[in-house]
Amino acid sequence: MAYTKVAKKYSGKINEVTLGTGDKAITIGGRNVLPFHHFDGEIGHPPKVGIEITDIVPDDWNNALKNLYGDVMGDAAKWAKYVEDNYAPDFICLHFVGASPDGANKSVEECVEVAKQVAAAITTPLVVAGCKNDEKDGELFAAVAEALQGKNILILAAKEENYKTVGAAGALAYQQKVAAESSVDINLAKQLNILMNQLGVKAEDMVMHLGVAAAGYGFEYLSSTMDRVVLAALGQNDTTLQMPIITPVSFETWGVKEAVATEADEPEWGSAEERGIHMEVATAAACLVSGADAVIVRHPKSLQTVKSLIEGLLE
Amino acid sequence: MQKFMIIGERIHCISPVIRKALEERDPEPILKRAKEQIAAGAAYLDVNIGPAEKDGEEIMQWVVQLIQSECDNIPLALDTANKKAIEAGIKVYNRSKGKPIINSADAGDRIDNINLAAANDAMCIALCAKEGIPRDNDERMMYCQQMLERAMEAGMDPEDLLFDPLFLVIKGMQEKQVEVLEAIKMMSEMGLKTTGGLSNVSNGAPKHLRPVLDAYTLAMAMMCGLTSAIANPCDPKLQEAVKTCDIILGNTLYADSYLEL
Amino acid sequence: MALTGLDIFKLTPRKNCKECGFPTCMAFAMKVASGAVEIEKCPHISDEAKAKLSEATAPPMRTIKVGTGDYEKALGGETVLFRHEKTFVNRNLFAVQFADQMTDDEVSGKIANLKKVDYERIGEQMHVEAVAVKYTGNKERYLDVIKQLKDLNKVFILVCDDAAVAAEAVALVKETKPVLVGANAGNLDEMVKLAKDNGVVLGLSADTVEDLYALAEKAQGLDYKELVLNTTGENIAKTFEKTIEVRRTALEGKDRTFGYPSIVFVNDLAKDNAYLQTALAATFILKYGSIIVLDDIEYANALPLFALRQNIFTDPQKPMRVEPKVYEFANPDAESPVLLTVDFALTYFVVSGEIERAKVPAYLAVPDAGGLSVLTSWAAGKLGASVIRDMIKNSGLEEKLTRKRLVLPGKVAVLKGEVEEELPGWEIIVGPEEAMQIPKFLRELN
Repeated sequence: MAYTKVAKKYSGKINEVTLGTGDKAITIGGRNVLPFHHFDGEIGHPPKVGIEITDIVPDDWNNALKNLYGDVMGDAAKWAKYVEDNYAPDFICLHFVGASPDGANKSVEECVEVAKQVAAAITTPLVVAGCKNDEKDGELFAAVAEALQGKNILILAAKEENYKTVGAAGALAYQQKVAAESSVDINLAKQLNILMNQLGVKAEDMVMHLGVAAAGYGFEYLSSTMDRVVLAALGQNDTTLQMPIITPVSFETWGVKEAVATEADEPEWGSAEERGIHMEVATAAACLVSGADAVIVRHPKSLQTVKSLIEGLLE
Repeated sequence: MQKFMIIGERIHCISPVIRKALEERDPEPILKRAKEQIAAGAAYLDVNIGPAEKDGEEIMQWVVQLIQSECDNIPLALDTANKKAIEAGIKVYNRSKGKPIINSADAGDRIDNINLAAANDAMCIALCAKEGIPRDNDERMMYCQQMLERAMEAGMDPEDLLFDPLFLVIKGMQEKQVEVLEAIKMMSEMGLKTTGGLSNVSNGAPKHLRPVLDAYTLAMAMMCGLTSAIANPCDPKLQEAVKTCDIILGNTLYADSYLEL
Repeated sequence: MALTGLDIFKLTPRKNCKECGFPTCMAFAMKVASGAVEIEKCPHISDEAKAKLSEATAPPMRTIKVGTGDYEKALGGETVLFRHEKTFVNRNLFAVQFADQMTDDEVSGKIANLKKVDYERIGEQMHVEAVAVKYTGNKERYLDVIKQLKDLNKVFILVCDDAAVAAEAVALVKETKPVLVGANAGNLDEMVKLAKDNGVVLGLSADTVEDLYALAEKAQGLDYKELVLNTTGENIAKTFEKTIEVRRTALEGKDRTFGYPSIVFVNDLAKDNAYLQTALAATFILKYGSIIVLDDIEYANALPLFALRQNIFTDPQKPMRVEPKVYEFANPDAESPVLLTVDFALTYFVVSGEIERAKVPAYLAVPDAGGLSVLTSWAAGKLGASVIRDMIKNSGLEEKLTRKRLVLPGKVAVLKGEVEEELPGWEIIVGPEEAMQIPKFLRELN
């Protein structure tokens, strides 16, 4: 008996979404097959990898990263430019940890100023992430979307609690792209997409942030959520779930014990920087094969590694 | 599992409006019903032009091209006893959104329609009946098997056959209902696809009861594995039943707004 | 995988002779499918059809056992492509590769690492289960390296396509049920004989999916089914394709010729890039690698890879639980607060992650709450005042603490009064509803 390939043809397709403008604009999505299944059909655009920077000097980052970046960390615009010049990521994620009312509590005006300076300093597409406080994020995103009109940024992200503000300002008033965030809850993921759509946000202006977990920390829930979303989008041609997926891997991986424990805490474990990178690339790879169309990492070596993996898988 | 498929039934020559429009080649009433049904979620539209012995070929070609060109090539079920008209319709049919369905073959005189489908790479509704109503499920399943064999001999993929167990009117044949459901179950267990003229079940019932009878029958039939039905997609009660059963059966993902989609 | 009536109908003679007692072959086939009748009731069914039927009822992917005794591991036996459909059954094995051209220092360095990386994570002992030993031409050295590894009690994977050398290597370790990755189109007969004679699992290698299929078919033809398929290809993309094709041909195509575990040499694909090797290993943990071969193991790559494997091979029907006990954060002392949560792993991870983030010394008390989330376990009566009391009383915290403060999850604030009654001498504090608010809460707690 000769070998018969089990061909998988899906009726659905992941939407294409473009971020940024000009030569460095990127497009994600566009495939009608499972991730990296180039042997089954149209693979669309290769997944993209971005680097995370923060609006203020982060107090909980690994020392190796602080040493690597040095002084530029004190000025988000210089930092962004440094990242663009030296590591050329597909996009840069400006993470407004400083906006948190539980932390530095920077005002919306201060944050907008930082966003403007960063956007002016780089030509790489920009993703703007919030501080986990839904109310503050709502105000922040609305103001940033307005200030950066025309830059085609991605707002990360609108949640059930603030999607009206974020969706209306971000996508409708100022034509930015918006991610819909649901924390590893597939029914909420679908519902939020429907709600945003009913608000008037077009599917092609949206991506999904399905939640994030580090390897070992409930990652199976994230992976299965992604599997089910992708299978519904492709197999059931569910148009409410065909938005590309972005996963901010670094938001979790650098906070788990495996990455945080100091060399004094765990002498056998070796360098914390090394552990952080391995944790980050393992998680990013697992997200990508589960269906992420874009991932955010923190360490430049992680960026390089994940890019090599993507190239290798699509060679 | 695939989502449940509704084949919209409302372009039917039994309706005076449609009959007149077909006779006069008047696009308006036909397109109106086509668009309404598509908006309501019909995946296929049934186009019944009646026996059309005289000018069937011309009517079928006209109506197929009319609907497809105006409605983004919505796939169609070609429904007439006139074989030549079906062939003519297939000639001008656009397959970009799905194969044509021939409605229908049976285990009697119209079994040749299976060969017609095979020769034209079309799908075919296979009515499990020969003359009148099958006596029992043994007879139903025998017809089912005869048509399946015919199709496989002709090189057809069993996936392209939609077996119709023949839904029967409740008011009058109440005692036969469970048997129909069991037939659907047996066919599903064999891995076959099924369909049927759902509104048969509520024939003769008061108008306000028809959607109720249709919707509950459909829900029970879906539980038995029914994969599609020829029905009125514009009936909200029926839509509710289909969408909710699709959720319960895991054919679509749940979201609070699932009924609004 | 169950056959449908239609599948069985295709195997019948379709004559409707009624000798089976049913009116039609179709009716008969349906009864067979439902399990009500044996296929043998049909006098005309061919032996070939019977064989097909019995094969069809066998599992789609074989379970292959490697190693012996306490070190025995099961590979394969999977029934689904996605874990949410049911569950993944047998976790992949990790192997570290040795070779005959390695120096003594290299060999002993890797052995030391294998011994060093051995730790517990949520009730599971984490360590590399297998050693691969690759032959590159120096037979004496090859056999010598194998001998050096024997004491490690790992599953042996002998990577050697020279049948004569393989025979000598197998002789050294055959009682440990090793894997011999060495059969190819050129040496299959010899290798199958060697494997059969010694009860060794045989690994098959071929360039393309088609060639691998032909090879597996041939091996089966020689009546050997203790197989592993080497799905490593010329590059990453080809390897991914091969590994996926093999698994889904078996599970979805129901073709048992590919119904065997796989082995992926990610060490070869990574070309000395340790980070890329980790990314590749993660890829193949999710996508159907049964044995994943690494260059070396250190805590840096072990921690994420073992953790990921532990997650992915968790049964979705049985959520992962953490051990009920008191966990410590940032060296707590007699004054530090005691937080309370449940033993549902996901909840524990979120809560413990936030406590880590807060960098405030604290205890986290985790009672046996049935592996459910906070509200569910409370509703199910598994997180009541008495459970909390017993947990605290048995934990030894009362003796240890000079300042006794217990922080309840905000979602069960309703328990405050009852817990106060059950735990006299304790200050019962209602904590935040969401884990996210823990760092701020802890920093402000005085």
